[in-house]
Amino acid sequence: MATVRIPTPLRVLTGGEDQVQAAGDTVKDVIETLEKNHPGIRERLLDDKGVRRFVNIYVGDEDIRFLDGLATALKATDEISIVPAIAGG
Amino acid sequence: MSTSSPERDALQQRSALVVGVGGLGCPVALALVEAGVGRIVLCDDDVVDATNLHRQILFTEADVGTDKLTAAERALYRVGAHPGSITLVPSRLLPENARELVASVDVVLEGADNFATKFLCADACYLEQRAVVHGAAVRLRATVLSVAAEGAPCYRCLFEDLPSGEAAPNCAEAGVLGPVTGLAGALMADRALSILLGDQSVFGSIVSYDAKTDCAREFRVAARADCALCGPQRSIPNITVNRYTAASCAA
Repeated sequence: MATVRIPTPLRVLTGGEDQVQAAGDTVKDVIETLEKNHPGIRERLLDDKGVRRFVNIYVGDEDIRFLDGLATALKATDEISIVPAIAGG
Repeated sequence: MSTSSPERDALQQRSALVVGVGGLGCPVALALVEAGVGRIVLCDDDVVDATNLHRQILFTEADVGTDKLTAAERALYRVGAHPGSITLVPSRLLPENARELVASVDVVLEGADNFATKFLCADACYLEQRAVVHGAAVRLRATVLSVAAEGAPCYRCLFEDLPSGEAAPNCAEAGVLGPVTGLAGALMADRALSILLGDQSVFGSIVSYDAKTDCAREFRVAARADCALCGPQRSIPNITVNRYTAASCAA
């Protein structure tokens, strides 16, 4: 099971949890598992072209865009971080 | 970074533009003054509101209703800014003034509260070949991204373009925790001072801080081959007004 770190704006979908466990062999699989457990989260991360342009997804400290994208293979110990663009101050 | 005498002498010859004198811009400006940066340009068009005070640390209750630049200038001279070292630009960063403003300094610190200004600032800095530190803070989270004068990677490598209205939830009620902006602003200033002193190591990563877990993580950012701003096939040769009209908040 990968550990997924949930950014503040998406915690409304995870009952306030800042990290959740989700099964999956790839990042896409994990997002599908997240969607089953926390409906609505997929739409916040993906559009019909893939990862939304103002969202970045990291496995460890590597951007999946520079790995294999949503097909990036995962190990059970991997940590996935979601870093959306934010504006404010 | 320490500011021993040679570094302080060097910083006195350098200049910085602070875009947005709010929760991020206040600690940024304070740190730049304390470090001895020779010329600091403040850019904002807002007035101090009582709801700003918990995080906009240059202002007091007596400043409520005053324009932010006047109040900030007063506070910065009070803590020891050199006479004449603060320049005020009573305007937002706009397509009409962005390139001239960023070109007038050595480094830009962008702490704007909306995406249009963030992308405008990113574009102007690349077009004028100025390094920029982008900061953002919402609720319990903050990010800081430092971009070299030549980009690669730049803000558009990471976030591409303004979020569309449909995809961008309303953040009017989001709020932000005061210490989160303080921490992010201090980090922005530290990165900018490093850049002014010639340190290239701050480029190519984004720091993401979460106050709930009290955890800061640094992620590498790589240049994107199809980046519209700094990629080989770049398609943003200038600043046009209609490129910066979109929703003001996302995610």
